[in-house]
Amino acid sequence: MVVAYRRWLKPPFRAVDELSFVVREGEIVGFLGVNGAGKTSTIKVLMGFQVPAAGTVRIFGMDAADARARQLVGFLPETALYSPYLTPYETLRLYGELHGLPSRQLKAQIDTLLEAVKLSHKAHTLNKNLSKGMLQRVGIAQALLGNPKLLILDEVSSGLDPIGKRELRDLLANQRTHGATIFFSSHELAEVASICDRILIIHQGRLIAEHTLSDLAGRVESLEDYFIRTVQAGFDILDMGVNAA
Amino acid sequence: MTRTLQITRALITAGLLETLRRKDLYVVLILTLLLTLGASVFRVFGVQGLEIFVKDVALTAIGGMTTVLTVLIAARQIPEEMQRRTIYPLMARPITRAQLLFGKWATATFTASLCFIILALSTLALLQILGIGVKPIFAQYLVLKLLGIGWLCAMVVALSLYMTPAANVTLSLILAFGSGVFGRLLLMAHWEHDLGALWLNLLYGVLPHYDYFDMSKKVVFDWDLAPWWVLGAMAGYALLSGGMWLLVGWLRFRNQTIG
Repeated sequence: MVVAYRRWLKPPFRAVDELSFVVREGEIVGFLGVNGAGKTSTIKVLMGFQVPAAGTVRIFGMDAADARARQLVGFLPETALYSPYLTPYETLRLYGELHGLPSRQLKAQIDTLLEAVKLSHKAHTLNKNLSKGMLQRVGIAQALLGNPKLLILDEVSSGLDPIGKRELRDLLANQRTHGATIFFSSHELAEVASICDRILIIHQGRLIAEHTLSDLAGRVESLEDYFIRTVQAGFDILDMGVNAA
Repeated sequence: MTRTLQITRALITAGLLETLRRKDLYVVLILTLLLTLGASVFRVFGVQGLEIFVKDVALTAIGGMTTVLTVLIAARQIPEEMQRRTIYPLMARPITRAQLLFGKWATATFTASLCFIILALSTLALLQILGIGVKPIFAQYLVLKLLGIGWLCAMVVALSLYMTPAANVTLSLILAFGSGVFGRLLLMAHWEHDLGALWLNLLYGVLPHYDYFDMSKKVVFDWDLAPWWVLGAMAGYALLSGGMWLLVGWLRFRNQTIG
């Protein structure tokens, strides 16, 4: 996949360059990179928000731009300020109806999800009166609507307090036991280390490292140390025979 | 088709809730009623022909306020979703961009139409209280204005995909209010037969005409009902021209990078 942005009187800027990866069913994959590495641009293409300059993206065998591919996908954007004039309940009802969920099933799901993200007591409070962390919980609930088989989460724990982060980890683990595949970007490396099966590291638009966490165990001091040294080097330090441990 | 209707209904419901919880509609309603009441105060001085004056003020206020409200409602449909980044969770659903665009147009049209109906009926009730009646042509005025609102929403939603919200609101208001003024300019130009008049005629043919949907003056001067085929023709114009605006918007939106 190549994602390029046109620039006035300059060659296009390649935010993502020759990126290629596969996420297998049931996996939890962490997508890591420093700010501006190309994570959000990649996710935009995965969700069909942007047309790649080259390459193809397929989700469950369908083109990512095809609306039907999104029937099985739940998405949480990095930051979304949900309509200030709707309540969490109405917000979830809107997204559920857009998803095509039957009314009775939708109502049951909204109640369950609001309970799961600990927001039942604020279900009928206008979003404008909710804190940033609470809005992020609304976002997590909307991503889980429709029991998606694939969850794509951009900076999932952004705005959550430590308790919220732990609850989120439990929630994701629960999704996994129900067979969901999770692909998420995060700067919280401890969180990544605790729930991921595999990590991808992107740097300046290129994939520079791809490992399972079991592969890294014993070879690196910590995920954080490995990540920083790899990004600073601009290549996978394990590939070069460097013993990071 | 059923899926598109389901998406449209969901968007309209959310849009309606938002509009009712904002203060725009209530401010506009109070202003319109105050203007009508203000105009009727001249009764105290025994001014003749006051009914026509009060009706004129009331219908001008309804028309002006509805236009402003319609432009503001339609202009924020997609840009506000982008600004708030709520376009992401919307587009993350199994819906096409064409369905979203149509749904947003329908939301703007339905919401603005409801605001107009509330304004028009409240003002009509006030006129009745003041002892000022209107002829059946008022019903045709309502129908034509509703067609105009749908058409105007299509134009504003389409333009919102090409320019910033501020530029869109400014241009749309100029086009909406200016179309009536331009018609009058053209009438004056008909007295001349030079190149300037030709240019004005060409421009008149090219520019969008929101003024076609306004028959408030006929209501003010108690005209008889217009032939229904005229309204049919106007519905055709609104459908064709509005459809063209939505097509123009979709051509931009179909491959636009979201966010």
